[in-house]
Amino acid sequence: MKRKSPETDLHVAEQQDLEKIQDAGNNSDDGEKDEEIEKPGKRRNVMKKKQTTDAGVIGAVKLSKRELYKPPTNEELNQLKETENLFHSTLLRMQIEELLKEVKLKEKKRKAIDTFLHEVKNFLSNIPETKQVDVTDQSWLSKGVKVPFLQMPYNIKGKFHFLPPASVKVIGSYLLGTCIKPEINVDVAVTMPAEILQAKDNLNQRYLRKRALYLAHIAYHLSKNKLFGCVKFGYFSSNHLKPILYLSPQGKDEKLVTVRLHPCAPASFFKLSRFHPSKNNVRVSWFLEQESAQGENDEPPTPHYNNTILIDLVMEKHLHFLFNAATDFPGMKDGIGILKVWLHQRELSRGYGCFSGFLASMLVAYLLSKRKLNKMMSGYQVLRNVLQFLAVTDLTQNGISLFQDTDDSVPSLQDFHEAFEVVFVDPSGFVNLCAEMTTSKYKQIQYEAQKSMEILDNKTVDGFEVLLMTRKPLLQTFDHVFHLKNLVKLQEGCKKMKLLNDLIDHGGNYIVTILPHLLSLLTRGLGQRIHLLTHSLLQTSEWPINADPPKHKDSRCLSFGVLLNPAFSANVLEKGPLADSPEAAEFRDFWGENSELRRFQDGSICEAVLWQGDNMCDCRLIPGQIIKHLLQLHVDLPKSSLCYVGGLLDSVIEVEKGHAGSEEKTISVVQSYDDLSRKLWNLSGLPLNVTSVQGIHPVFRFTEVFPPVPVKPDFSFYMKAKNTKCLLPSSDKPCSVYVPALKVICHMEGSGKWPQNKDAIQHVKAAFHIRLADLLHQQHQLTSQPSTTHVDVYKDGYVFRVQVGYHREPLILKEIQTPDGMLKYRDTEESLQLELETIHLPYLTSTLHGLQQQHSAYSGTCRLAKRWVSAQLLSNHIGEESIDLLAAYLFTQPAPYSPPASPQTGFLRFLNLLSTFDWKNNPLIVNLNGDIKETEYAEIKNDFVATRTQHPVMFIATPNDRKSSIWTKGRPSAPILHRLAELASQSLRTLERQLMDPLDNHDLKMVFRPPLDIYDVIIHLNPRHIPRYSEAVDRPKVTYNRGTLRDDAAVKFLKMPVVDHDPVQCYLRELRSSFGEFALFFYDTHGGSLIAVLWKPQAFTPQPFKTSHINAKMLETKENGLQIIPNVEAIMEDFEILGAGLVKSVKALTEKWKI
Amino acid sequence: MAPPRVGGGSAVGDFTVIPLRFSNRSRASRHLFVKLHRVRDTADRSRPQDRTLFVLNLPPYISQECVHRLFSQCGSVTSVELQEKPGPSDKSETQKSKFFSGRSVQGFRVAYVVFKSSAGVKAAVSSKPREPWVLSTSERPVKTGLQKWIQDYSSRIIDAGELQTEIDQFMKQHDQKVAEMEALEEAEDGVPDEDGWVKVTRKGRRPGIPRTEAGNLRLIQREKRKRAQKELLNFYSWQHRETKREHIAQLRKKFEEDKQKIALLRAERKFKPF
Repeated sequence: MKRKSPETDLHVAEQQDLEKIQDAGNNSDDGEKDEEIEKPGKRRNVMKKKQTTDAGVIGAVKLSKRELYKPPTNEELNQLKETENLFHSTLLRMQIEELLKEVKLKEKKRKAIDTFLHEVKNFLSNIPETKQVDVTDQSWLSKGVKVPFLQMPYNIKGKFHFLPPASVKVIGSYLLGTCIKPEINVDVAVTMPAEILQAKDNLNQRYLRKRALYLAHIAYHLSKNKLFGCVKFGYFSSNHLKPILYLSPQGKDEKLVTVRLHPCAPASFFKLSRFHPSKNNVRVSWFLEQESAQGENDEPPTPHYNNTILIDLVMEKHLHFLFNAATDFPGMKDGIGILKVWLHQRELSRGYGCFSGFLASMLVAYLLSKRKLNKMMSGYQVLRNVLQFLAVTDLTQNGISLFQDTDDSVPSLQDFHEAFEVVFVDPSGFVNLCAEMTTSKYKQIQYEAQKSMEILDNKTVDGFEVLLMTRKPLLQTFDHVFHLKNLVKLQEGCKKMKLLNDLIDHGGNYIVTILPHLLSLLTRGLGQRIHLLTHSLLQTSEWPINADPPKHKDSRCLSFGVLLNPAFSANVLEKGPLADSPEAAEFRDFWGENSELRRFQDGSICEAVLWQGDNMCDCRLIPGQIIKHLLQLHVDLPKSSLCYVGGLLDSVIEVEKGHAGSEEKTISVVQSYDDLSRKLWNLSGLPLNVTSVQGIHPVFRFTEVFPPVPVKPDFSFYMKAKNTKCLLPSSDKPCSVYVPALKVICHMEGSGKWPQNKDAIQHVKAAFHIRLADLLHQQHQLTSQPSTTHVDVYKDGYVFRVQVGYHREPLILKEIQTPDGMLKYRDTEESLQLELETIHLPYLTSTLHGLQQQHSAYSGTCRLAKRWVSAQLLSNHIGEESIDLLAAYLFTQPAPYSPPASPQTGFLRFLNLLSTFDWKNNPLIVNLNGDIKETEYAEIKNDFVATRTQHPVMFIATPNDRKSSIWTKGRPSAPILHRLAELASQSLRTLERQLMDPLDNHDLKMVFRPPLDIYDVIIHLNPRHIPRYSEAVDRPKVTYNRGTLRDDAAVKFLKMPVVDHDPVQCYLRELRSSFGEFALFFYDTHGGSLIAVLWKPQAFTPQPFKTSHINAKMLETKENGLQIIPNVEAIMEDFEILGAGLVKSVKALTEKWKI
Repeated sequence: MAPPRVGGGSAVGDFTVIPLRFSNRSRASRHLFVKLHRVRDTADRSRPQDRTLFVLNLPPYISQECVHRLFSQCGSVTSVELQEKPGPSDKSETQKSKFFSGRSVQGFRVAYVVFKSSAGVKAAVSSKPREPWVLSTSERPVKTGLQKWIQDYSSRIIDAGELQTEIDQFMKQHDQKVAEMEALEEAEDGVPDEDGWVKVTRKGRRPGIPRTEAGNLRLIQREKRKRAQKELLNFYSWQHRETKREHIAQLRKKFEEDKQKIALLRAERKFKPF
């Protein structure tokens, strides 16, 4: 299916969801169903879709006793033992088997491919010869084909004529049986007869050009044949010196296979030693088209060029080598297959300088020759050993070689290291298999291998799933990503960095020439700030044979990924060497004008670079500043051609660009709270001691989207309450500023004086509140207002809502006395609520606070996630704490990634988690503080599977709550969860596309704007009375006076501001309690200016008269007597009446209620 | 639309429909369903059978005072009781204080209206108002929306002194009650009843341990542990055989479970990596 545009897509998804939501409405009123009177034809089609019964849920396995205890056969014992020893578990073994079945080529298809190959071979030998002409004279080529080679410079001596190939042989993965779906490529080596070639063809690209001409001629003849569905040119691993021909069969088999024709020279035509990495084969004078005065010895070596030709000469040899290794080694095939999947998921297996499947095969063969593998090993063990090898071996320092003999003519590893960044020498001793790979790429592979080994050894994660089934896109793997566009500008960069020799070596491809230098420049500049810097692999797509080959400048962009080291990445200062030391000059050269002399606290005067960053949010982007600066200084790359993706989403969670970001605001709240808690501890005059003070508001765990700011109320704006120091909202002014009540639980010590009766405890608590208010006023001059359930304390511009707790109260609420005098404890709604507030929430808050201290990106990630959920109007339909825990999961269980170090990456992974997690069959285990042991994981999972139906749809287990998932009880409901997943996957797709495409100016807020057309009624609100209007995704242009004074305004005495008063929330509460049975209400808590209403279809079927279901309904005569139906007209009017003053208009989008 | 008059004997029961409007300007009319209050249990004094009117479907913004005013059209009303659901009055418990009276009911409600005489009920049941009754008039507007919320907010702010006196009063009563209970327990302790059984209370000379469910469980667990300690493991050869058999059975079970998981994943096409 083709995707039209993301918006339409979103809508399609919603349409489906809608039905689900309405379905849930049906099921909630189950009690009514039996009384329904069937009315064929009148019932709505939505009704027919009943929820399928628990399809796809794993139940507990039941085996009969006889099955379980029958005597084991030898074979069975062996199998059981084998899985125990060779694999981690049976599951992994079976999973890998299934995966291989899925990706391997089926035997039936093999036959079809063989016939096709046969035809190709026949055809190739029948292509007619041509006359001999100059290489530069290409007029003999027919018009329908263009030479697939960038002939720069054009002039070259030499003769060319076409002769049918000397041999046509299948090489590579197809013969070895290691090629995997979905792209089945069969490589065919077409050996050009020696007569075409001349002695000095190795010089100045002459061989390569002949190769291209040869290919062009073949292509022309093949394209005329009806046998082939598609004939295209392409570059072999995106190397523009090596064009190849892509062939696929005609008709329905077109997708089955792609045959790639590689023309090559006869193996013995050139002496291999001519291509020693220190030798020159491209003359500078020829390349620059100048008359040369240089002698041959001064010419710069051309190792990459040499390597390119060498590969053509040894292709067949490699095949034989691999074939020998693979005989009697069934595990090798499987192992390479799995490795290829592993590489593919990490975007490592395609493009210029990739870690190709061929390379993987060679590595396996190398390990076999070094006896690190033996032929008895299984595919899984091959994978493990290869990963282990990659994880510990640094091929950029200590290269490896498959060359066995000792021979002086063969270059040493040292020679290779001088010419290439990564070294892996083939059996012939001349070819570097990793010639094009950059150091950064290898480091990335190494990092991935290390991560993967960790995952395989970690029993708490499903290694198979995260290693082989999870795609790791650049954007989610790395913390920051940046793109270089306008790649033509890199040509200037090459000049500036004086890379002429390298440019000649790479045949004029300035992008791959400059890339390693760019990377080393940035790696040096970023230093300790990063763990890893990597880049996307340059890829060119195939092109039709009658088109010119793509030019270098056609490459759209180059993407880079940065893995931050959070301990240093946000440092504002880059301290350099002492001013008088010799390194100082070098440091100054490197940083340019930004380097200045600074005196440090220890008295030393050093060179240093100071970057800008007022708050945490800006500081996180300092690597971006560094990269911009360095690229401009050293590569002449203008800022406009760099697109840095690191904090583009920050704008939705920061109210205004100011000095203090949200994180700083949170910290100042927490400081004020710490002070309050100290004061509470030290209050004198309380009858009982304080045993603990614990904050439970989200701001205390750094997850409040918009943390409160200090408020100084303007008294004239409010009405005053009699006898108290409280201000009251006034109805004729805009709604006053929203001051959240920051809940704090204050436990008093246990004592025999506490009454053991729930009413009496209520009263004693109320008395405590009054006393606390008095004492805080007397001893600390704090304004406070007591009430029965809490005391509000106004301090530093914040309002803390202190609630006294008694640790035995939940127990007393639970107590039941049986008739025979036994005491039983049974959960009641009241006791659960109290436990949640006074036990679980304080624990959650303190552990998540701890998590934030470890991972500074947690706060941002969680706030972005909450903002998104709220923006999708779903904030009331999923518990806030559940989102906190989902975000925490990304940090406690990051596999296959590292914990995110930037909110943006965290948010993308959050969306990914939401859209892919299988809630039906898995509990989400959030291992806070690492309190859950490995063995306990299985326990939790087994418990969960055995009792799945009793649990909420979303099950989150934490160390303190392993069996009941307290935070997700009741919400989200199944349809809401489904909708969340759907929305998340659409949002993720949209965001990934926008963030990976630097060329267009995208509106990133798109995923924060909910589509409204699925709803039935929209209630528009008057922004005057929405206190949080300024938090809206699209910042409103109008602002209202909300009755606050500036921070520095002088106030003589303090009055309690209006606390926790949000008219919209009051309105929603009334709507839900009055019309909850007819509709669902959706609202964006953060400044939404509309409420979306969705009717529940179940409520709209006519029903017989019943006193218990009569609310908001009216009578109507139907064919089978009097029935009651909802009085929709009145309900809509009630929407307006209940929200008098707040509601601007009520608009019906659909007429669904017409029955 | 003309509200249909519902007579007795139809499926709807003996309810009369009274149309209601919020104000003169409002278009939609709501239906109040009224009938004579009649239940088998006649003990309830506050709702005399012949003088009480049962009203259904009262919109959320209607107040007690409002209902009083509306039904005064049919005769003088002595009391009005608003409830969330039909059923016996829940105010029969001790008079709740103004501070500790749980949360107020929101949403649609039912009412029991007691008239001074049974004529009022009859008038209401047989009324056929030509014009719908109007709830909010210019003289007596019903507060909804912003104004109501502000009112609610102000009413939540309480006077600490008043609250303190109420608490003191309550605690005094409570302490008294507790003291009485304790005195009673103490008096009962060790006094044999008719059959000669002696009751042990917590206040006696030798206080009994309170019987709790958790305590019972602990006891059972302890017994189990004791028994397990006495048993010898893998002592007899049959025991040894049993453990081996058990191990294989466990492996088999795991294997079957895994097979099931795989089958499920395969069904969901979970093995397509790309």
